[in-house]
Amino acid sequence: MNSEFVQKWQSQVKKGTLAFILLNILKDNEFYGYELMEQVRKFTTIEIAEGTLYPLMNRLKKEGLVTSKWVEQESGIPRKYYQLTETGVATLLEMRVYWQNLETSIQKLLK
Amino acid sequence: MKNIEFNDKSAQKIYDSYFRRIRRTIAVLAKSDREDVLMEFNSHIYEGLQNEEEGAEVEKLLKITQGLGDPEEVLKPLVAEKKLQQATRTFNPMHIFQAIFLNIKSGIVYSVFAILYICLFGFGILMFLKFTNPDSTGLFLKNGEFVALGSLKTSDPAVTEVLGNWFVPVMFFSALVLYIIITLILKLTRKKKEE
Repeated sequence: MNSEFVQKWQSQVKKGTLAFILLNILKDNEFYGYELMEQVRKFTTIEIAEGTLYPLMNRLKKEGLVTSKWVEQESGIPRKYYQLTETGVATLLEMRVYWQNLETSIQKLLK
Repeated sequence: MKNIEFNDKSAQKIYDSYFRRIRRTIAVLAKSDREDVLMEFNSHIYEGLQNEEEGAEVEKLLKITQGLGDPEEVLKPLVAEKKLQQATRTFNPMHIFQAIFLNIKSGIVYSVFAILYICLFGFGILMFLKFTNPDSTGLFLKNGEFVALGSLKTSDPAVTEVLGNWFVPVMFFSALVLYIIITLILKLTRKKKEE
């Protein structure tokens, strides 16, 4: 087995799916950064430098898929909550269709 | 931003040093963007500390900062992106210059921008040289054909500088036109990317 190739491929898959995973997590709830990362950990085995989450969220925001708002906390250290926009929901649904088609094709191949 | 306070002095040092690294990485950004990044990382660390049950302050903090990764690495795409947003909002040459070089890795387009920008600075330098070395700086032609634009030392009598006192205004005008073109193309490519 060429494990180097597998590793590179895995990291490409992870990179390519992280936005999809985040949008799915945000579909029904709003989360703040740390919580969002915990959700990613809960549902997937993806290991990423957690700091990369923030540049990615910034991109999703720029694309108009999510919005964010700072919410003051008693501790004095506010949380930034992220939420899907309408465009974000519609985009996610389109992505899901693609994902399901891809999954079906791959399942056929794997038989 | 409200800083997190630690009881342990080593933890405080680790925290301060991590934030120094973030500040250094995002120094080129606008103040509001910097504040946003700092607050977000601060919040992440604070929430992490509240959620980590076991371990001393230092261990918890180290686990969180290691989880976040090196600021220099993880914040690179954010810095490049934000800088570009800022550059296309203003006509400030410094922002544009920084944005182009931060984004150079993301494609050939930015390399072209970089070359155009270097030309722009070249024109500026030539204007300066015209004052210090007026005889050897200019647009040089030989029998009507282009020889050089810049600083030239030659003993060939057929090579003549043709712009004379017009050199500085011509360079200034070229730089201005080039500058406007660069900024407009930069705005256009940004729009295209966003569509």
